[in-house]
Formats: sequence, structure tokens, C-alpha cells
Amino acid sequence: MARKSSRSLSGLLAVGLGVWVILAAFPFLWMAIISVRVPVDAFSVPPQLLAPFTLENYYELWVVDQFYVKFFNSAIVTLGVLCVSLSIGCLAGYALSRYEGNLGFWLLMVALVFRALPHSTLLPGYQLAFAELGIWNRYETLIIVLVAINQPFTIWMLRSFFANIPKDLDEAALVDGCTRTGAFFRVIVPVMWPGIVTTGLFSFLLAYNDFLISSQLMNADKQTMTAALSAYINADDDAYKLMQGIAGAVSVTIPLIFLVLFFQRQLVSGLVQGAVKG
Amino acid sequence: MASIRFSNITKRWGSFVGVDNLSLDIADREFIVLLGPSGCGKTTSMRMVAGLDDPTFGDVYIGDQRVNDLEPKDRDIAMVFQSYGLYAHLSVYENIRFPLKVRGIPSTEHDAKVRAAAEMVELTEFLERKPKALSGGQRQRVALARAIVRQPNCFLMDEPLSNLDAKLRITMRAEIKHLHHRLNVTTIYVTHDQVEAMTLADRVAVMEKGRIRQLGTPTDIYNNPANLFVAGFIGSPPMNLIDGDIVEGQFRAEGVSVPLPFQGSRQGVVLGIRAEDLRLTDPAHGHFRQAVYSVELLGDATLVSQRFGSRLITARADKGFRIEMGATSAFEAMPSAYYLFDRASGDRIALPA
Ligand SMILES: Nc1ncnc2c1ncn2[C@@H]1O[C@H](COP(=O)(O)OP(=O)(O)O)[C@@H](O)[C@H]1O
Ligand SMILES: [Mg+2]
Repeated sequence: MARKSSRSLSGLLAVGLGVWVILAAFPFLWMAIISVRVPVDAFSVPPQLLAPFTLENYYELWVVDQFYVKFFNSAIVTLGVLCVSLSIGCLAGYALSRYEGNLGFWLLMVALVFRALPHSTLLPGYQLAFAELGIWNRYETLIIVLVAINQPFTIWMLRSFFANIPKDLDEAALVDGCTRTGAFFRVIVPVMWPGIVTTGLFSFLLAYNDFLISSQLMNADKQTMTAALSAYINADDDAYKLMQGIAGAVSVTIPLIFLVLFFQRQLVSGLVQGAVKG
Repeated sequence: MASIRFSNITKRWGSFVGVDNLSLDIADREFIVLLGPSGCGKTTSMRMVAGLDDPTFGDVYIGDQRVNDLEPKDRDIAMVFQSYGLYAHLSVYENIRFPLKVRGIPSTEHDAKVRAAAEMVELTEFLERKPKALSGGQRQRVALARAIVRQPNCFLMDEPLSNLDAKLRITMRAEIKHLHHRLNVTTIYVTHDQVEAMTLADRVAVMEKGRIRQLGTPTDIYNNPANLFVAGFIGSPPMNLIDGDIVEGQFRAEGVSVPLPFQGSRQGVVLGIRAEDLRLTDPAHGHFRQAVYSVELLGDATLVSQRFGSRLITARADKGFRIEMGATSAFEAMPSAYYLFDRASGDRIALPA
């Protein structure tokens, strides 16, 4: 009886997952397929399953249009955001997880409110201030803004990971001869990797996928890949440009897939258990 | 090695008093046990020696030095946590070595010290494992080894055996006793288990609600409980306690009349008699005459209970003793085995010699 119901449950699960994977993956797969075609084949009606293969779109985008500049922009901004927001997030999250007063609670609530604001409401304020300060179109500026937007979330998430690490561990280290800082780096951080990787991935995605802030704050030469792609994809009258945009979209997605595959172990333990048991 | 002194220590959180004006002198090399029910402030007292909690009032001394303002690392102590607090990312070897490493002890000495400590708690064959791959008892021994790898001023142990199963607890208890005998380091040991306290301690401090209710050797505490709390807490089965009054040299309670070895009267008294001091006797003579309420065979003894009102009176009889439930029975004890307490204050009333 129990076995039968668990079997039918797992059947249901398999079907559900299958449908979901197809739905989720289809747009990307189709994009990947047509990105290696010439426009006529790509947009033919009815759609063709097979068509001549070409790397023309990728060549035009990366070599002729120098899309690699945008790649470097993305890399700088994303890594910058990742480093800054993880460093601040770890320190603040650790402190808040070990702090017993209720000031910490209010700090976290305020952070949550800021995180909840739509990003577009922040922009007008930034635009004026940054123009006045003359820090328009700079990597640092974009990094700071993205960190500011993302930090509340990072702190919240890391705090809950830290809160799952028993206080005994810090205290054992203190008694064994560590300073607070020493205890943090020697015994807390090493068991925090799943949490840091998981939170890091979310920070990474925020910076990497950001379109709004980058397209508003940066000129074309310093735009990230995501922001730069819109110029291609919005060019409806030029099918060749659009095809390059599709090739770009595929190029932007592939690193993400590798990233998730590479860190899958930490991600799973970070997302599933949310805790590190000793 | 050092003595430890609590001098009028109070610990408060808001208006909640965790430890209430506690004073305690612990001699160098002494094994002292803080014993009491859960929540009575044992762990908090110990944590204040470690520097993990700060006293609200009062001073802690290690040796002659006041340590209130010292960081835990500067107090030169070693602690075994209730949940062990092992470093999950390090092997057993590295766990034991950790205190040596962070205290900057020359690395040439590490290996010998780690192996000696591991040997003492019989962990040598598990040195390469991660804590995750160990049983509860083995983890407990890693925690012990990590504490004894140095020669600290004192050991602090917070219910180190409470997470082990009953059999292992007895083995580890002997192991801890042996270690203390061998290393001779001042030890504060926290437990709510009176058997651990009795077997391990040089002296026991029985605590209730943040205060020490009695301090003494295990024998002292068992034979001369200073108040009702200690009398009821120590001993298994707990001491029989009967509410009543003394009327002209007779202790009187519902259905009970016990002649006392002195004259006089007093209201509001509690009579205490340990189960092993009560013996079964001819129903014509005994002071406690009642039908047998229950009979429990322990193997090494037989417990026979009578019921008076809502209280059970239990006598510990020989292991071969048998009696039917419901049969008439009578208990009596030597007058020297009586303990009298004042019901209102809980204090012991001295029997006139
Ligand atoms: N950080 C804290 N904040 C508030 N109350 C606490 C704190 N730590 C312990 N207490 C309270 O102090 C009392 C004594 O705790 P503890 O020393 O841990 O007792 P135990 O004798 O069981 O070890 C308990 O009632 C506990 O709830
Ligand atoms: Mg405790």
C-alpha cells in the first residue's frame, strides 16, 4: 500500500518535472538551434527542424562588433559585485547571527524594505547625484549601485546560514585560543562554503543579469553584455542584427550553465539543507 | 594549574537572575561538580570561568588573578562542550591539534602531543577520520582529547556524558575519573546526574535557582543533606519525605506515628528517611503500616512501596525479598536514620544528641 502510493507519487513527480524541464528549456534550446542559422532559415514558417549550419552570427558579434569588450565589462562588474557584497555580507551576517539584542532585528527589517523597493524608483535619485559628482559611466559606480541593491538580500541569506552553525563552534575556538576574528576564519568560514557559494551565485546572477541599472548608468563602451544585447534584440528591422542578438543571448547563457554545474554540490547542500551539521 | 574562585557572582539577563550571588572556592587540582536540575545556572557559572559570559556583578579569579576582563583565550583553560563543538571540516588529528596550532606551540612538538592525547582516550586508530564518521562516544573522546592535549590551568566540562547511551556513559565516567587522577588538573564538571556527581567529585556543589544549596563531599551531601532540596535531589530512589507535625516526641502524619528520640512539639515538619534505612518488619510493630502499593524488582534489590495520601514511602529490601501487592506490610527505621526538616524554610532541624 505504502509502496504503491510512493510509486505513483514518484511517477507523478517524474511527469511533472519532465513537463517543467521541457517548458523551461525549450526557448533556450530553440534559440541555441536557430543561432547557428542564417535569418531566412531561422525565421521560416513553418519552423524547420534541420537547416544549414553557420557560425556567421557569432563571428559578426564577437569579432566584428567586438562583443568581447562587453564580456570584459561584465566580468569586471560581476566579480566586483560578488567580492564586495560577499565580504560585507559575511561579516554583517555573522555579526547579526551572533548578536542577541533586538537592534539587529530592526536593521534586518530596514534592509528588507530597501530590498523590496523596485529598482527603477532608485534610479532618478542616482542619476542626479552621480552626474553632480561626475562619477557617471564608471565601473565603480555600477558596482556600488548593484552592491547597494543586493546587499540586504546577501546579508539576510548569509545570516541564516551562519545562524545554523552552532555557537558552540565559535566558543570552542575561542577557548582553544582563537580571537573572534581567528575563530571566524578558522572554524566558521570553512564550514560555510555551501552557504557562501549559494549566496554568491545569487549575487552573481543579480549583477550578471542586471539590465536596468547598467543600461542607464553606463555608456555603450562600458555596458555589460546583458545591457548591450538589447541594442541587437530591439533592432526589429534588421534580421541580421537580431540573429547576432540571439547568438549573444546564447553566449551569455552558457557560462551560467557551467557555473551551476561546477558548483552543483555546494548549491544542493546550500539550498536543500541550508545548514552545516558538525 | 590553579585554584578558581567565584566571588559574589551574579549573572542577570534583564530582570531574570541566572546565577545569584554565588561564591565558591575551588582548590588547586580539585574535581568539583556543579549539580542541579536543568536551568539552575550550572552552565552559566562555568561559562563565566571560561569568559564566554560576563558576570553582571562579582569577580572570577583563576589562581590569584582576577580574570573578568581577560579574553577566553588568555585564561588558559580547556573546555568540553555538551554538544562537543568539534570542527566538522577537520580530521580528528587536526581537531586535537587545533589548540596547539592557534596557541603557537612549536610545530615540532605537535605530533607527539596529539598522539599522546589520542592514546589516552584510545582514539589512535581514528585519527584520520572526520568527526562526521564517528559515533557519539568517539566524538566525545575527541572533545576530551582536544582538551587534554595541552596542560591548561583547568578543565571545564559541561555535561560531557549527557548525549551518550547509558552503558557508554558508565565507561566514559570511569575514563574521566582516571584522566583526572592521571593529569591532576583542577576540573569543574557540570551535570544534572547525581550518580556522575557522586562518583566523580571531590566536592559537589548542589545548585538550585542560581544558588548553591549545599557544598560538600559526596558522602557529606548524601549523609547530611542541609535542606529539603538536597535531600530530595540526591539518592535513588529519592529520600522518603513525609509532611507532619511533632507532638510530644511523636512525629504524626496521616496514618503515621513515629516516636522520636527526644521530647517536645513542633508544627510544620518534614520527616525524611532513605529507602535503604527502612526495613520491613512484623506488621504488629512497624511505624508505617499499610497495604503494599507496589513491588519493584531491581535485580540487586527489591523496592517495596506503601502509599500515604498522595505520597509513596519506599523501602529498599534484600534482592531475594518477595511480597504480594496488597498484602499488609510494615516499615521501620533506626531513629538515627531520621532526618527532620522545617517545612516552611526547608532547612534541616538538628536532632538533639
Ligand atoms: N543568553 C541567555 N539569555 C537569557 N537567559 C538565559 C541565557 N542563557 C541562559 N539563560 C537562562 O539562565 C538559566 C540558567 O541557564 P543554564 O546555566 O544554562 O542552566 P543549566 O543549569 O541547565 O546549565 C536558565 O533558566 C536559562 O534559561
Ligand atoms: Mg547546562
